[in-house]
Order: sequence, then C-alpha cells, then structure tokens
Amino acid sequence: MIKRILSRIDIKNNFLVKGMHLEGLRVLGYPEFFAQKYFNENIDEIIFQDVVASLYKRNNLTSLIKKISEKVFIPITCGGGIRNNQDISELLINGTDRVLINTAAVNDIEFVKNAVKTYGSSTIAVGIETQKIDNKYKVFTESGRTKNDIDTFDWIKKLQDIGVGEIILSSINKEGTGKGFDLNLNEEASKICEISLLAHGGAGKHEDVYELFNKTSVNGVVIAAAFHFNYYKELLNKKKINVHGNTDYLYSGNFNNNFALSIKDLKKYLKSKNISIR
Amino acid sequence: MKKKLAGIINISISNVLSIKRTLEHIGFDVIIIDQYQSIDKFDLLVLPGVGTFKEAMKKLAENNLLKLIEISIQKNKKILGLCLGMQILFEESEEFGLTKGIGFFKGKVQNFNKYKVEKKTFIGWNNIKFNSKNKLFKQHALIVNKFTNNLFYFIHSYFVKTENEDIEVANSSNGEVVYSSIIKKDNVLAFQFHPEKSGENGIILLKNELINL
Repeated sequence: MIKRILSRIDIKNNFLVKGMHLEGLRVLGYPEFFAQKYFNENIDEIIFQDVVASLYKRNNLTSLIKKISEKVFIPITCGGGIRNNQDISELLINGTDRVLINTAAVNDIEFVKNAVKTYGSSTIAVGIETQKIDNKYKVFTESGRTKNDIDTFDWIKKLQDIGVGEIILSSINKEGTGKGFDLNLNEEASKICEISLLAHGGAGKHEDVYELFNKTSVNGVVIAAAFHFNYYKELLNKKKINVHGNTDYLYSGNFNNNFALSIKDLKKYLKSKNISIR
Repeated sequence: MKKKLAGIINISISNVLSIKRTLEHIGFDVIIIDQYQSIDKFDLLVLPGVGTFKEAMKKLAENNLLKLIEISIQKNKKILGLCLGMQILFEESEEFGLTKGIGFFKGKVQNFNKYKVEKKTFIGWNNIKFNSKNKLFKQHALIVNKFTNNLFYFIHSYFVKTENEDIEVANSSNGEVVYSSIIKKDNVLAFQFHPEKSGENGIILLKNELINL
C-alpha cells in the first residue's frame, strides 16, 4: 500500500501552535496559510487538532475548516473535544471528512461504538497519546495531561474490535523533538494493529521517516513541528500575528527550530529510497 | 454564462461541504438539499459518501429524499454518486446486516473482511485502472495524460464489483479483491473514491466527467 504523509496542525484560539511533548505551546502563525501551503506542496492529508478543546469542553474548529475547505482539496480530519454524534455531524457538514477522537474514547467507549455504526469505520479515527511508565506504554488523554491506567497495546486491540477505522499513535516523549520516532512502539503497535495505523512524534530528518517505513509496517506518518518550522518564516509575512504576549521568538527566527523538513523534498527522498508514496 | 446548478443530498452523516467546495471550484452553483423538493431546477444531483449503508437508507427514507432520488432517475437527471453514494445505487449491501439499496445498478455491496486484502478498512491513495473493455476507454485514455499519476483517495470497508463491462469505467484492487471504482450508466456516474478529496487529479477528473455527463 502507498504510505501516507500527513501533517498535523494544532490549533489554539485560531492560531497554529506548536510545543514539545504536547506542552509549552507557542503561536507559529495562521493555520489557513499553513494548510494552503501544505496542499500546494502535495501533502496527502491534514489533521486539525484543537489542543485545548477537550479541557474546556468545546469544539472550535468549524469556522476555520469552513474557510480552509474552499481551497484545500485533500482529506481533512478534525479532532479535539468531540464527545457526541452532534459534534461529529457538525464537523462533517462544515468541511471535515473524518474525525479524530481521543479523550472521549477513553471516557465513553459506547459513544465510539455508536459513532462507528452511524458514520462508518472509515470516518472514525482514534488518537492515542502514549508514554512509557515503569517500562509499560500507557494511554494519556487531554493532550497528554491525564494519565490513564490503560495499556496502549490492549487499547489498540480494543479499538479495532469495536470497528474504529484508523489509529493515530502519538509518542509523547518524541513529540516535537525532531529526534526520530519511537521505533519499538511503532513496531509493536503495527504488529498487532490490523487496521490503518499512523505514527506521530519524532520526525526531524528524512532518514527518520525512511527508517520508520523501513522498520515498521505503519501505514503513514504524521508530521507537525518539522513541517511547520520549515514554512513558518515565509508565511509570517502574509499577515501580522496579533496575539497577546511575546512574539519576538517568531521574528528573531532562531527558536527551537534546529530541525525542519520540506514536504516536497521529503517525498522526493522517500521515492529515491523506493518507498511507495503519492 | 449562467452556471449549472448542483444539489447535494444532505442526511447529516456525510462530508457535504467538502463536495460543495469542489463543485464550486469547477464552476457549479451548489445547493444543499435537506428535504424533498422539486428536482426540475437542478442540472446535477449529488449523492455524497460517508456514513453507513443502513443509516443512509434509513435517513433518506425518513426525509423523503429516497423519492427525490428515484424521481431523478426516472426523469433521466444527471446523478453523481460518491463512495457510499455509489454503493446505495446498487441492489443491496451486507453492511451491518443485509440492507436493500436503490437498485439502479445490479449487484451486492460486500465487506472486505471475507477476503485476503491489504486493509479491511482501506484508507489512503490507490490506483484506478480504466477498463479497456468499456466503451469510454478511448475517451479516458486522453485524460490520463493530464494526471500526475493514477492515484485517488479511497476510504471504505465495503466494495462492489459489477459484472457488466459496459458500465464499469474503471476498477481498483485491495489485495485479492478487484472492485469497480468508476461506474457509468445512462446519466448516472459513480465513484468509489472521493474525487473531491483527491487533490489536482480529482479536480481534473471531475471536471472532465461532469462536462461529458
């Protein structure tokens, strides 16, 4: 099967934000500019995640996605604060193609079961944030803020049993570091996962992604920071960032971005390594 | 020149705005159809995908939209079915128990899970192969040159294979299963994949097909 290259755009108060280990969020720009740029660069899909929605029990992506769907003609998945069928329908009617559920899946598995029956397996993806605790991978929720006593691999099996179409597995330790993927995690997960599995967290250089596809059988990769760091400077000029607090780090251009990936170059590299991609 | 008008059937379980945006992009005016109305003003009726077969048929019946689709077929209106919107045009589906479909095309929608496939729920990009036995093959050979590749976005756990070469424009495969990915009969055109989500390729194909429909 063709490996998929996705980007994840984290949203807080209508800005694209990025942090490390799902913490310490910083504004990088306007999500609509990133989405348009990524589409033009031939990204396969985009995931939008409202990173504070679950915490505040709200979902705020609708107006943003409405705007983005005017010009971005690839699959759009939305996540963050989805708790019932009404939330799902609201997103689908407004430009979303698939939804990503995380916290609500842990809190209310019946909701996910029913959602699969209404919208079909292919519409329902579940995000798993995981971290090793005492040598065991555990499931976290609320963007890594809450630890649950659930074994990550048991959880994957459970989700595929109830008919979830896809799992997006985020490594909290690797997320935003650019230091390569947790290969053990992804290898173990792809061994037991019969449904589609996407790996998130750790992409920093071309070789990281190649290694992931070469050593594990994940179906695709989700990349956030490395893409954002490559494009944010050119997108800054489009519109002034109007946000409370210090934004000097944006314009000084030297914050934390010692890794960056261009979508086109990554795809070219993977093709040269005989990885089948679009 | 007055734009052509497309109506998209909405039963609240499909990605209707995505389809609307793509149709607008290729030059249509678009109205979302939530309840039964006269079909006369529409140049094109779209049956969107996403959702389950049973739920879709139930909702269509509840809102009298099934009647609207049937009348459109009788009146020889141009109809575009996408993904599940293609599947419901068949006789029946085994999705969550056997459910009766509209029956415009002959055949049964089946689950991938009984076969040796790469993925039981296929999510991602897949090749389409134009059927050389179909009468539209020559016409499609021309548009293939405009594509950067033959990849389109598929997302489905169910498939259907028509035995009728006259209506199967293209097919695709998942493991051992070969299934129909574009079907055209009379004024009804249907895709198993999502052209509205297939980037530049999808736009080129949709534009080309809808001009000819």
